[in-house]
Parts: sequence; structure tokens; C-alpha cells
Amino acid sequence: MSSPSPSPDLSKQPLRLGPESQGWIRFCIIAAVVGVLSAVAHLFLAVDGDKRFFLAYVVAYGFILSLSLGGLFFVMIQHLSRAGWSVVVRRPAELLAANMPVVALLFLPIAVSVAMGGGEIYPWAQPDSAAVEYAEEGTFRESLAGVEHLYLHQVLDGLTMEKRPYLNRPFFLLRWALFLALWMWMAHWFLKHSTLQDETGDHQLTVKQETWAGLLLLIYALTVSFGAWDLLMSVNPHWFSTIFGVYYFTGAVAGTLAVMILLLKFLQGRGYLNEVVTVEHYHDLGKFLFAFVFFWGYIAFSQYMLIWYAALPETTGWFTNRGATAVREEMNGWLWIAILLVVGHFVIPFVGLMSRHVKRNGGGLVFWAGWVLVFHWLDIYWVVMPEMGPAVVLGPMEIGLAVALSAVFAIGLIRRASKVNLVPTHDPRLADSIAFENL
Amino acid sequence: MATLNPGITIPRDTAAPGGREPDNSSDDPRGRAPLVLGDNDFSSVTDKVTAIALKPMNQTPKAWYVAFAISLAMLSLLGVTVAYLLTTGVGVWGNNNRVAWGFDIINFVFWVGIGHAGTLISAILFLFRQNWRTSINRFAEAMTIFAVTCAGIYPALHIGRVWLAYWMLPYFNQMGMWPQARSPLLWDVFAVTTYATVSALFWYVGMVPDLATFRDRAKNRIGKLIYGLAALGWNGSSRHWMRFERAYLLLAALATPLVLSVHSVVSFDFAISQLPGWHTTIFPPYFVAGAVFGGFAMVITLAIPARQFFGLKDMITIRHLENMAKIMLGTGLIVAFAYVSEFFVAWYSGHHFEQFVFANRVVGPYAWAFGVMFFCNVIAPQALWFKAMRTNIWVLLAVAMCVNVGMWFERFVIIVTSLHRDFLPANWTMYAPTWVDMGMLIGSFGLFFTMFLLFCRFLPMVAMAEVKTVMPQSHVEHHGDYAGDYHGDYGQTDDESANDKEDQP
Repeated sequence: MSSPSPSPDLSKQPLRLGPESQGWIRFCIIAAVVGVLSAVAHLFLAVDGDKRFFLAYVVAYGFILSLSLGGLFFVMIQHLSRAGWSVVVRRPAELLAANMPVVALLFLPIAVSVAMGGGEIYPWAQPDSAAVEYAEEGTFRESLAGVEHLYLHQVLDGLTMEKRPYLNRPFFLLRWALFLALWMWMAHWFLKHSTLQDETGDHQLTVKQETWAGLLLLIYALTVSFGAWDLLMSVNPHWFSTIFGVYYFTGAVAGTLAVMILLLKFLQGRGYLNEVVTVEHYHDLGKFLFAFVFFWGYIAFSQYMLIWYAALPETTGWFTNRGATAVREEMNGWLWIAILLVVGHFVIPFVGLMSRHVKRNGGGLVFWAGWVLVFHWLDIYWVVMPEMGPAVVLGPMEIGLAVALSAVFAIGLIRRASKVNLVPTHDPRLADSIAFENL
Repeated sequence: MATLNPGITIPRDTAAPGGREPDNSSDDPRGRAPLVLGDNDFSSVTDKVTAIALKPMNQTPKAWYVAFAISLAMLSLLGVTVAYLLTTGVGVWGNNNRVAWGFDIINFVFWVGIGHAGTLISAILFLFRQNWRTSINRFAEAMTIFAVTCAGIYPALHIGRVWLAYWMLPYFNQMGMWPQARSPLLWDVFAVTTYATVSALFWYVGMVPDLATFRDRAKNRIGKLIYGLAALGWNGSSRHWMRFERAYLLLAALATPLVLSVHSVVSFDFAISQLPGWHTTIFPPYFVAGAVFGGFAMVITLAIPARQFFGLKDMITIRHLENMAKIMLGTGLIVAFAYVSEFFVAWYSGHHFEQFVFANRVVGPYAWAFGVMFFCNVIAPQALWFKAMRTNIWVLLAVAMCVNVGMWFERFVIIVTSLHRDFLPANWTMYAPTWVDMGMLIGSFGLFFTMFLLFCRFLPMVAMAEVKTVMPQSHVEHHGDYAGDYHGDYGQTDDESANDKEDQP
């Protein structure tokens, strides 16, 4: 047996966040307050009603949840493949994942909406007494705040009632309690072992994480897929797509990689992790980002093309509501968002991230990471918000809630990050990772 | 890559207890396990690989002749059945009015699927810097090309008038017979021919340095001439290596989307239709995962006997087999996940015909086929969760065989059970293959094995130049501090040094 590779000198720079992170937290608190205030102001000043508030909340929630889930995936896949290069960038991913308790707490408004049975987010959450035999497409209903456009699937009709064994309030809440508990536990488990290794240097901790990563990834795949069906697909209880979980997952990982790049650049700009995270690691993160941008495009194309080609009304309706239709009379404003997604979430970043030079150039990579992150949000927005009706809604409500939830997420992340090292200091592959080069 | 240092965890001369194989499957994170075992240096790797192909015909192992004779007999069955089919018509197949796609499309999808492992190993694992792929990529790529060849037979024959197959190509003509660009069957023509072309190119380009070694070592004139022509004047200069590595990287990047595209397009054949059981959005990634699953099963099926008979255990080690077992388990679980998704969403859709098709798969007249598929694809691979099972060659071979069978039955289940019971019970029927169907299935295996055996006998079965890059000797100059534990010979003593790469592409 040989001795482990020589330990790199980490003493020259801060391994933990300094007091300046309190300033970042203050900034995030202000952002959260401004976000909430603008959403609340919008809620009271506009006539869109609570439906819009809750749907916008689901968009913001789906966005921050995806960042935690993406972090968890990154950690698992690196352990599963026993990767060496990624050790120095793994801690940010572990922290993103371990921020799941904050995400779980933010689930409460959704749980309340479901439990109260108003059906603002999920039409199926209305009580059985609201069920009707027959409804007309495009009906309008008087709500407290004004007139609401109503799609056929938003009425609790016979088809939705057939899904009652799955789409009912207690079972949904039970499932989500289970999902969130599992995700919190898995993320905590990985961070716990990783930080324990910082203290003890025991390489068996790495072996243990690698051994269990496979089984945990299986649990992850099932929970994320069912979670995506529940959270985002069932806003339209008529629609179904087997690939939808994968669709959410690919966007989530692309968004997470973007966040990891931005976080690392942010920290390096403030004197952390320099000489540890190098251009080689950014290059590899950039390759992953490129791959997941492509993967998202592939999955999104597969979902759309198959439904468009078969043209069965039970599945095309979802796309029609979102403007993606070739029938001129049925087109609406969401078409522009759909086109923007194809171009902005796939075509442009695909071309932009292709070059080796861009991935190794700090500014270029930061630009594309920010770009992908914005479009990842827009993707979830386009999945959820068209449930409001054929007119595009984008205002202080959607943006305010996205900012507020992201800020709360960031506060949790900074607080968690300030308690641990920013690099797994005693990972057995740390030296390999620091010395890593793309040839 | 260069920063990984293979060969520091386990002494390379590990004497295995009880005459068992040396075990390099250790996952100690403090080092990287060696990928080439035994007392090998660069020249012995060259010696072992060239000896397989360059020994005189009368020294060929008898087992090779026996296997070749059996394969040739099976191949002649293909000739007989195809001749009978061409002179009689596709009516000799078991396809009927309702089940218009039978063995022909099942076998087509099966063989195209097999072909995925090669490109995955050579392109995707290359981009992921999986060094262990170097020992297996060459014959996996060969397997890919042969499998795609076998696949191509079926749709070509199914069109009925084979002599008009060229109508599918968009050539200029005065008859106005343009291909139907809206049909996924036509997309298949392009997807599969592109795939075959790029795979063959990738295989050949990667082989050029090794062919040059064969040229230099060949004893007889014919061998010198043929290997010499194929080596394209390779002389091993650093300029050649630089261009070679750039070309290889570009081909890998081009081949990667092809791994996804081919089976995605094959899945479109089914998924664009309105048929319950076929029309489901998860088909593209699910088909790709299934193809890799089945492809790795076939790689394992071929690797285990090949390393045994050709003495390649030092290069295709337990670790290589274990890694392949892990990929097989992983992709198998993706397939199982897709089954779960399909069944759940069939119920969730509230679509009664969809629900019927899935119920019919499990309890209908083809329940036995579903049972075989489920056991082979979902239950059997679960053994591979355990290291003791993954490193046991017999268990691994048995699971790989199960998966080969299971993935064939998966296509049978998808195609036949979805077709045989229509929306109208008056149209319900059963499907049974005829002797011609069976003969062509067996015959395609004959074609596959014949080509594979010829490849093993006459071409470099292991990518020598690439294997050398993952040996510790390649890393000595860059990482002198790791060399302390290495007990072997650092020097290149043979005249092949020109062909030894300094580093990985």
C-alpha cells in the first residue's frame, strides 16, 4: 500500500466563510422582503385573484426545489462514478442539497392550498362535492377577486374523478411528506459523512458514500419523477406524459450546474477557493452544463414531437393551452414564451457553450450560467402559469415570488455554508482533484 | 486522465489465493486500481495482441475453427431462408393482418440495440475519461458494426421488393418517387446509416496505429500488403499522433449524440403512432437505456469467452467485467423505471384502451412473454447489486444471457402484445412465427458470430496503443512522485516505441 497522495497546502486561504457573509444574508433579507411585498401588493391591487398568487408560488417553488434536487444528483453521481476531478466543487453541491429543510418549509403554502380544498393550484384538490358531470371548454367563473378563465380540466369532471385514488388531498400530502423527508435525509446523510471526513480524514467514509449512492439514486429517481408529476404535471389533471419527470430533472440539473458555476465564481471573487478550483474544473462544469442543455432539448423535443405527431386531443390540450399549436385560431400569447424557450433554453446556449474557449473563460462561462438559470426558471413558468388562461401573465407577482423564494433559499444556503469548510479538506482524492487537467 | 495514477493501490503481482484470478476490483479511494495486470510492459501488450492475429493459420486454436464452423452453418441458414423469402414473398413470415410487424421488426430493434454499447464505450465513456474502456472498446465497436449489419437485413427485406430499396434514398429521379419524409421509417434509414458510417469510421480511425504495428510485425507478404494498405502510411511521428488524437476526440463528440439519436428514432417508429402501448413520451430515452442495457449484456457475453480463449485476462480484468456489470445494472434499473412509469401513467391517463393494453400484457395470452421479459430484465440483474456476484464470472455470464433474452422479449412484448388486440374485438388475433422467421433469427446470429470470429482472428482485438496509455509506465514522466510504488520496468525496450502514446488523447 502506498501513502496517500501528498496533501495540498490549503492553509494559505480561508476555508470557511468569514463575517462578510452576514452582509450577504442582510442583502438576501432585503431581497426577500422586497419580493414578498411586490407579490402581496400585486395580489391586492390586481384582479387576478389568489389563483395567480398560488400558481406563481408553485413556479418559484419548483425553481428552488430543482436547485436542491440537482445538487443532490450531482453529489450522488460523483460518488457513484468515484470521480476524482469533482472533489473541490462537490461541497457547494452538497450544501445546495442539504438546504432541503428550507425548501421543505417553503412547501407549506402549497400544502395549505391543497388542504383547504380551494383548488387554486390543483383543480383535483377541490372536494368531491364540487364534481360535475359535464363542463364546457373555456368557461368563466366568478371568483372573489374577479372573473377567471377556466379550462375544462379545471372543473372537477369525470375524468379527473377517475384519478381520485391518486389525486386526492390526504394522499398528496402524505406523498410530499415522504418525498421531502427522503430528500432531506439523503442530503443530510451525504453532507454529514463529507464533513465528518473533514475532521477525521477517514477514507472509509468515502467508501461508504460510494457504496450507498447507487441505491439512494434509485430512490431519488422514483421520488423526483413522481414529485414532478405531482407538483407540476397535475396542475392540469387531464394531461399525462411519461417523460415529464425526466423533463423536470434535466432542467433541474442544468439549473444547478449554472448555480454551482455562479457560486464558485462569486466565492473566488471574494478570496475563497483560489488555487483550489481552477479553470479545469470550470471547463468540466461547463461541459456538464452543455450536456444538460442538450439533454433538456432532447427530452423537450421528444415530449413535444411525439404528442404533436400523434395529435390525440387528450394530450395536445396541454400544449394548446401553452400556445404550442399549429392551429391559428387556437394560438395565444404563450406561443412566444414557447418559442423563446426553444431558442433560449436550447439553441442559443447550445451554440454558446460549444467552444472550449468559452468554457475556460471565466466571464463567458458566468454569462452562459446566468443565461441558463434564467431560462430554467422560464421553463417552469411556462409549464405552470398558462393555467391562468390564454393571456400571458408576467408581473411583480411572478418575479417577486421568484426573488423572494430564491432569497430565502440563499439565506439558508449561506447559513449552512458558514458552518462547514468550503472544500472537503480530507477527501482521499483531493490532491487528484486539485492537480486535475483537461488534456 | 493524466492526473489519475493507475496502479498504486494493489501490488501488480498480486498472487490470487487458490489459483483464482488476481483481483483488481478494489475501490480504495486512496488510489486507482491497475487496469492491466500481470507482469506486462508495453512490449508484452503488443506481443500478446499481435500474436492472436498474426500466428499462422495452422496454429489457430481448434476452438476457433469449431466456433467458426457452427457460425458458418447458422449463416448458411440465413442464406437459405432469405433466398426462399425473396423467391416466394414476405408471406412466408408469420406476420398477419393485425400483427403486421413481427419477427422482422423485433429482430431489427434487437440488433440495433445491441449495437449501442460499442459507441457508448468508445465515445461517451471516452468523454467521461473512463480509462478502463481502452481494453474493451475495440471489440465492442466491432460488435456494434456487425450488429447494425444484422439489423439492416430485416427492414430491407420487409419492404417486400428489396430490389427497390434504393427508392428510400433522396436521389434525383424523373418519376417523382420522393421518399416520404414524414415517416419515421425513413428517418430510420438516415439514422441507422449515419450511425453505421460514423461507427465504422470511428472503429477504423482508432485502429490505424494498431494496424501499423501489425504491418510491421506481419511475416507473410499478403499480410504485409493488406495491413500496410490499411495502416495508411502511419509512421508514429508525433505529428501523426497529434492529428490522430484530435480526429479521435472530434469523432467521439460526433458519435455521442448518435448514441442517443439512433434508438430515439427507432422508438419514434412506435411512439409517433396513436396505438395504445406505443404512444408514450418516455419511449426515446427508455429505448436508449434499453439498448445500452442489451448492448452491454452482449459485450459481456463476448468478452468472457474471448478473454479466456485468447489469453487476454491481464487486459480484460475482473475490474473491467465488474464495471460493465455496474453499467448493465444501472441501465437495467432505468428500463425498470420506465416500466413503472408506463404502467402508472397508463392507469393515470384515464385512457381505457391504454389501460387495457397494459393489463393485457400482464394477464393476456402473451403473459408468458411478459413474464420472461420481466424476470430477465428486472429481476435477474438485481443480483449485480452485490460485488460477490459481479466478480463471479459464471453469475455475470448467466445474468448477461438473461438480459440478452429479456431484451429480445421486450421488443416482442412491445410489438406483438400492442398489435394483436385491436380496438375492436372482432380484429383480435394471435401471432406465431414460422420456420422462416426462426431461421432468419438464428441466421442473423450466424452472420454476427461469423463476422466477430473473423475480426478476432485477423484484426487487433484490443486497442494496444490506448491500453498502453492507462498503464503506469505512461505516467512516470509526469508524476514522478507516484513512481515509488511501481515495481515494473519503466523503459520501452521493444522496437514499437514509436507506437506508444505518451498520454491520452
